[in-house]
Amino acid sequence: MTRFLKPRRLGPAFAAGLTLAMGTTMLSGVALTPALAQEMTDVGTPRAETLIVDMLNARVGNPTNMNMYQQGVTTNHGLHQLATSQLYDIDTAAGEQIPGLAAEMPEALNDDYTQFRVPLREGLTWSDGEPFTADDVIYTDQMLRDTPELAYSAAYTDQIASIRKVDDYTVEIETTRPTPRLSIVLGSVIYGNAFIVVPEHIWSEEDPATFTNFPPVTISAYKFAENDPNGTWFLWEKREDWENTDVGQLIGEPDPQYVLFRSYGTEERRVLAMAADDIDILTDISPESLDILRRQNENVRGWFTDFPFANLDDPCERGMHFNTSVAPYDDAKTRWALALAMDIERASIATYSGMMRASPLAIPPTSVLMDTYHQPMAEWLAAFELEDGYQPFNPDYAVDLAERLRSEGIENIPEDAEEARELFGVGWWKHDPEQATKLLEEAGFTQDGGQWVKPDGEPWTITILAPADFEVQSQRLAFAVANEWSQFGVPTNVQQMQAGAFFTAENTGDYEVGSYWGSSCAITPDLFVDMEGWHQDYVRDNGTPASSNQARYVNEDLSALIDELRAIPADDEEIVPIGTEILKEMVEGLPAIEMFGTSKFVPVNETYWTNYPSADNYYEGPWWWWSNFKFIVAQIEPAASE
Amino acid sequence: MRLLRYIAGRLVVYLLVIVFGLTILFFVPRLGPTDPVEAMLAKVAAQGAYMDASQVDRLRESLADTFGLNGTLLEQYWAFIKRILLTGDFGPSLSMYPTPVMELILNALPWTFGLLLTSTLIAWVLGNFVGLLAGWRPESNAAKAMEGVAIFLYPIPYYILALVLSILFSYVWQIFPLTTTIRGAPWSWDLISSIVWNSILPAASIVIVVFGWWVISVKAQTSQLKDEEFIRYARLKGLSQTRILTRYVLPNAILPQITFLALQIGLMFNGSLITEILFDYPGLGLLIYTAVLQGDFNLLMGTISLSVIAVATATMVIDLIYPLIDPRIRHR
Repeated sequence: MTRFLKPRRLGPAFAAGLTLAMGTTMLSGVALTPALAQEMTDVGTPRAETLIVDMLNARVGNPTNMNMYQQGVTTNHGLHQLATSQLYDIDTAAGEQIPGLAAEMPEALNDDYTQFRVPLREGLTWSDGEPFTADDVIYTDQMLRDTPELAYSAAYTDQIASIRKVDDYTVEIETTRPTPRLSIVLGSVIYGNAFIVVPEHIWSEEDPATFTNFPPVTISAYKFAENDPNGTWFLWEKREDWENTDVGQLIGEPDPQYVLFRSYGTEERRVLAMAADDIDILTDISPESLDILRRQNENVRGWFTDFPFANLDDPCERGMHFNTSVAPYDDAKTRWALALAMDIERASIATYSGMMRASPLAIPPTSVLMDTYHQPMAEWLAAFELEDGYQPFNPDYAVDLAERLRSEGIENIPEDAEEARELFGVGWWKHDPEQATKLLEEAGFTQDGGQWVKPDGEPWTITILAPADFEVQSQRLAFAVANEWSQFGVPTNVQQMQAGAFFTAENTGDYEVGSYWGSSCAITPDLFVDMEGWHQDYVRDNGTPASSNQARYVNEDLSALIDELRAIPADDEEIVPIGTEILKEMVEGLPAIEMFGTSKFVPVNETYWTNYPSADNYYEGPWWWWSNFKFIVAQIEPAASE
Repeated sequence: MRLLRYIAGRLVVYLLVIVFGLTILFFVPRLGPTDPVEAMLAKVAAQGAYMDASQVDRLRESLADTFGLNGTLLEQYWAFIKRILLTGDFGPSLSMYPTPVMELILNALPWTFGLLLTSTLIAWVLGNFVGLLAGWRPESNAAKAMEGVAIFLYPIPYYILALVLSILFSYVWQIFPLTTTIRGAPWSWDLISSIVWNSILPAASIVIVVFGWWVISVKAQTSQLKDEEFIRYARLKGLSQTRILTRYVLPNAILPQITFLALQIGLMFNGSLITEILFDYPGLGLLIYTAVLQGDFNLLMGTISLSVIAVATATMVIDLIYPLIDPRIRHR
């Protein structure tokens, strides 16, 4: 393990701080043994009854505002994951939506998909004992309509025309335009959905535009207990009437009496907290931190117990995205040349020491999508030819990488070719500088004294926009790719930007190449959510913010296929065939060089709790910050019972 | 009359500095690459919540309107200056909308002030005391040892020092909490002791690093003063060492230290960025950091405006009280 964790890849602060400090202490023979586990948490709850979870966005600046409809109010301190529920949630293991507050998936009442009947789950109560009924849904709809001050109001009324009560547990919904996927508009696919049903008996007494919803009345199995006025922790307690909740009906009684969401600040402190058994579940950390953690605390584990440790089923994949309206990236030959100029194996090692699954398609290589698209399309990929008859696909990528990792002494790398492909991906594009050169010359590039010159006569240099201090994989990938392109002969540098500036550049088209991922997210075999964003309808001039298709990619054939997808519901038998055709179109045009699924290092600590989802216990993905976390909590068990 | 002219001059400069600072503050973030509406949309999109493109368009319009970013730059500027100078209102935070910026600042200010005022004063008193002794009696073993400690600690990068303190005192020995955990009813003893307990480690990290600088600077002053003629004259007069040190050396060596102390106190409105990030301490530094990351114009302008005003005020106060401390200036 330590052989491929190159210290030079550590962030400077991390390398200088944690490694130095912990490393020296360990070398000097002083074991970093934490004191005996405390029986109580520092917020006064029994430790053995408290599940402690890392807060995704660190400290919350306005902790006593829990009005989820006010933009800027943070809810992923437990409100989003444990206390509210969606009409429809997501089963990430199966890759399909499930009814949450709704009793069944919506039933279309007409062929236009503009009218639906939605039955609601019966027997649910709010945390103050009031029953959950259609009146709450009707009130939420009307509140959004009547309160334009809430930013989501405009977006909501743009698509939902009305909601009508049929009886206490049935509503009928009318949309402003054909909406074959109503459950996506009003339910969670990835992370959650902005439509949250609120209790009428509470909210109708308040002005929703200014109401702080604190302390909140909740609908799911946990209720608010206490919080830190400075927003560093939030404590949730299991409801006595947990059986009157969606979790109670769908899963059963959750074991943790308390769930404490808390912030430990920087990655170093989060790692120390887990090493000291002060936290049970961490959101993203780097592979180096996981390595340190595993060595410090034998109860800490990643998604896999061995290489590659990370969960590889994140619904967004990473790659190099182009502004295809800007020369020379408006030419598919340029984009293909840049793909073939890269040695993907080297990029994988440089980014995350090979702990990634490659993807040649415009959808992430999750388990569900690998079975539905990547594996079935492997034959087509192998036979795929560029205009000149060249076949760019290398089906042996996984086998070669496995061989290389084994030769470096990494253990538990599959020997079998099929197993290797399952782990590292079905293949990727060849590293072929000669073919890349040929394509560039065909696109009008020339070489002058070893320097590539663009068709307009200007020397060719590339700047890749990359995230600074967030989304580490995309950040590292940008440097790995810059190295590849520079070696090929195109001087490439990386410009790191903070989140606000990074996404402003993407939306306004103020970039040429960026290490982005937003338009490469999918989780279900129905690719609508991902592919809709590539429709040419959404192309805007550079300078004008685009809400979708930030690559400004115009492709009539692709848009026609997306139109076909738009018209059918998620369970239509044409979903996968149309999705496959779309993916082929995306390969031919290559508007983005998709590279790897996202590897999430999301460790758990089994000192106090077990039965977390994992590669060998895959009942859910490790998405602690999503709305479906409540279903995971209900399946976690106390370690003491083992 | 001359004194009045002096005070009036200082006041005019004070006001000009503030208006100039606020103007720069208004325009610089707007020249930057971050659009707060796009940043907010990205926050929604990055979490994956699905909205189709036309819904996002509507949300974009709605946010620009809500954030008050729809007028021309000049209109926004006049509104900003009027609002700040007349009402002290920085508007709502854009990243934590609709919480008012002033509310966020007022929540964070006591933390930063409590932490930095205490640690700065402790470091100042300790550092000046040790530096004075080390400069006055360089041959003394105690002075040498204390100076050695200061010189050893001073160059250690703050980040490393704070991390090592955390690892030793919060992980290995588990004496202090790993992160700030405040509990207790308002104004209760539990709350006060919880605040003090949680602040010890961050405060110690600041004292340890800043202490060295005060030692080195006052020692240099003292060493120079020792050879001045008025000190030699005092010795020849037969005054005691203690009297020379306290009545002749100290008042002269301490003057620049007071200036720096005042500026340090003014700069407290910036918070102590790294300390607060590292210890997850809920002060102004953490607030500024959030504002920068999120492209929160209002919060950024609120926190830094306050800092501009505080530094300008501290400088003016020093200008006004300096004649009282230093007779040479009074004479001029």
